[in-house]
Amino acid sequence: MAEDLDVIPWGAQDRFQAHFIVKTHGSISQQDFLARTTLRPVGHFASKKVGTVGWVGGQLADNLSADNDLKNMILKLPYDDAEILVEPTNSGIRIHGNWKSSYDFAITKELFSVYDKIASHVRIMLGSPPVKS
Amino acid sequence: MHDSESDTFQPINKREEFCHSLEKIGIDAESEKINTDEVEKGDYYSKQYSHSPSMVTNHGTIKVKGSNIDVIQIIQKG
Repeated sequence: MAEDLDVIPWGAQDRFQAHFIVKTHGSISQQDFLARTTLRPVGHFASKKVGTVGWVGGQLADNLSADNDLKNMILKLPYDDAEILVEPTNSGIRIHGNWKSSYDFAITKELFSVYDKIASHVRIMLGSPPVKS
Repeated sequence: MHDSESDTFQPINKREEFCHSLEKIGIDAESEKINTDEVEKGDYYSKQYSHSPSMVTNHGTIKVKGSNIDVIQIIQKG
C-alpha cells in the first residue's frame, strides 16, 4: 500500500496556549479591549530580536502604547514571546501569545511580568484597582 | 547497551506541568479541577482575529494569587 505523503492533520495537535484571564463582571465594550503588538524585528534567524514595539486595537491599545515601562519590558523578550494578543470574551479579557509545542510550553518570569502589567491596565479600564506584585 | 531513559515515568497533564513552571518562577498558583471555572464554559476567542482556531481542547485552569491575572486557562489546538 502506498504511503500518503499529503497527510491532512486532524485531532489534537502538539500546539498549546495559555490564556491569562482577567475576569469581567457585567457588560463591557468589546472593541475597547482589543489589542495586539506590532513588532519591528532587528537581525535574522537566531539573532532576531525586537527592535520597536507598538500596539494596535481599541482604547486598551492606546493605554498600552503610552506605557514606556511595558515597552522596555517587551523589548527584552524573545521575538516569539513579544507577539501578544489581548481579546475580550464573555467571561473575561484574555491575554495570550502564539501557539507553542509541548517542548517549549512554559513561562518565564519576564513574560509573566509583561502579562501582569497588561492585566493591570485591563483592571484600571474595568474600574477595579490593580494588584501591586 | 542500556537506554538512558528511565523505566518508569510519572504521567502529568499540561495543566499541572504549567502550574509547576509558574511555581518555579515564584508565582503562587493552584491547579483547579477541569470544567469548574466559568471561563471554560464560554468562547475562548473573540473571533476578531483572522487566525482564531475553530477547534480547541480545554485542559483546565490554574488559579493565580497576588497578581492582576485571575485565572490561566490551558488550551490545545484541535
